Amino acid sequence: MIAAIAERAARGTLFQALDIGHPLYAAVTDPQTAFWALVDKTRIHEAGRDPALLAAYGAMVEQFSRELHALRFGLKPSGVYLNPTERCNLNCTYCYLPDSQRSSGSHMPVETLLASLGKLRDYFRSVMPADRKPRAIFHGAEPLMNQAAVFAAIDAFADDFVFGLQTNGTLLDDAALDFLTSRNVSIGLSLDGPVAGITDATRRTWGGKSVHDKVLRAMEKLRGYGSWSVITTCTTENLPYLTHMVELFHANEVPTCMLNTLRCTLPGARGVKPADGDMGKAFFVALDRTYELYQETGRKLMVANFANILIGILAPTARRLMCDISPCGGGRAFFALAADGSLYPCSEFIGLPTTRDVDRFSPCGDCAIRHFCGSPCPAEAFEMNGGMDKIGAFCDFYKEQVNYALRLIADGKADDYLWDGWDEGTETIFVMS
Amino acid sequence: MPKIVSQVASNTVETQPTAAQHAQPVAPTIAIRKSCNPDGIGLSHYVLMDRKAAK
Repeated sequence: MIAAIAERAARGTLFQALDIGHPLYAAVTDPQTAFWALVDKTRIHEAGRDPALLAAYGAMVEQFSRELHALRFGLKPSGVYLNPTERCNLNCTYCYLPDSQRSSGSHMPVETLLASLGKLRDYFRSVMPADRKPRAIFHGAEPLMNQAAVFAAIDAFADDFVFGLQTNGTLLDDAALDFLTSRNVSIGLSLDGPVAGITDATRRTWGGKSVHDKVLRAMEKLRGYGSWSVITTCTTENLPYLTHMVELFHANEVPTCMLNTLRCTLPGARGVKPADGDMGKAFFVALDRTYELYQETGRKLMVANFANILIGILAPTARRLMCDISPCGGGRAFFALAADGSLYPCSEFIGLPTTRDVDRFSPCGDCAIRHFCGSPCPAEAFEMNGGMDKIGAFCDFYKEQVNYALRLIADGKADDYLWDGWDEGTETIFVMS
Repeated sequence: MPKIVSQVASNTVETQPTAAQHAQPVAPTIAIRKSCNPDGIGLSHYVLMDRKAAK
């Protein structure tokens, strides 16, 4: 055991203890390295003096520390979010982009998009290994409002990027779907309700028309495709129906969904923001339902935002979402290209400061799980809570997710909530059981 | 060892004690950590979870 660990153990400051709500286990963490262990809850006060635990952790603590530091501060960007237009054909209640841009903004000319991708290709080649392609995700506003430019770019740079597209789904006609699926573009849709009346509460056209049925048709067309997902943004309007949402997704063979908290960056979103406790209660009932459906059918519906919390505990470097780490992935793992050609760490950051480290502000700096949640989102904290040094909008909800994840690990169920083969390419570097 | 910090939000419904609570854990300690080269680029508006599909 290295001296620093021995000294902290002797002072009683090595581990922080968590009651995770499990009948047998409690957790101890060393937040400095994102280390955790589940221990007999009746003997948790002895964990900091357990010779076997201290010796095992002491042997790995420097490696864990280096790994977490590299994840937090040593990444090079490997993806770009492309905004090919400022415009959107929908006027969603909680959108984080300004109304004026979405209603009457500009398209990026195809020449600008192609020239930008050429520069980005050269940049990524300079920072990424030769055997990996960067990812380029067309994003919103609604990228298919500028479909000609998007499709031209996908064909022109097919050998240089792995492409994705996040769309509201309303412009995905058969021709567009054929184009995208034939080129293996990963497609993300959005749907907020199991029936039109619920979806319509937050997602309608500028003229107030429903788009629910159009998204359902796109989901039917994508059934069986290898790489697609659907986002549900959770609000006060649809929270009672989350279980119906996952049942709808599972019935339509959606492989991956996200049950996202809305981003409170702009005031409109805060009017439909659910309380953390309400969010957690509905979320975990829906998550439990996905497990029941898996048990009944043998087919998983992965809830990606929760799966990422679970992976962040089991394998910090294997996390896919880079919101749940601090500093967040904006400007480090990816960045965003706006329709006017300017670059931002993330679309959420437009016009905001860009520095935030969860170790350096209260209450996150003392939190046992700060490197499992990352206290998202910096832009949201700045706008909603008054600064980059403030907590995010859903602190208690994240705490509950971490507790839930640790209970799954204690019960040996974690893999049931992750996609098969999630740990391929990872190496197990620490085990106690 | 500092006091145990409850990370459960205040309005979480607590379950009643069961017989299992008086049982012993199967393993006295559970801890695991896997490692790989980080390559995640997802954000809350878009995610591709499968690492192989991302290649």
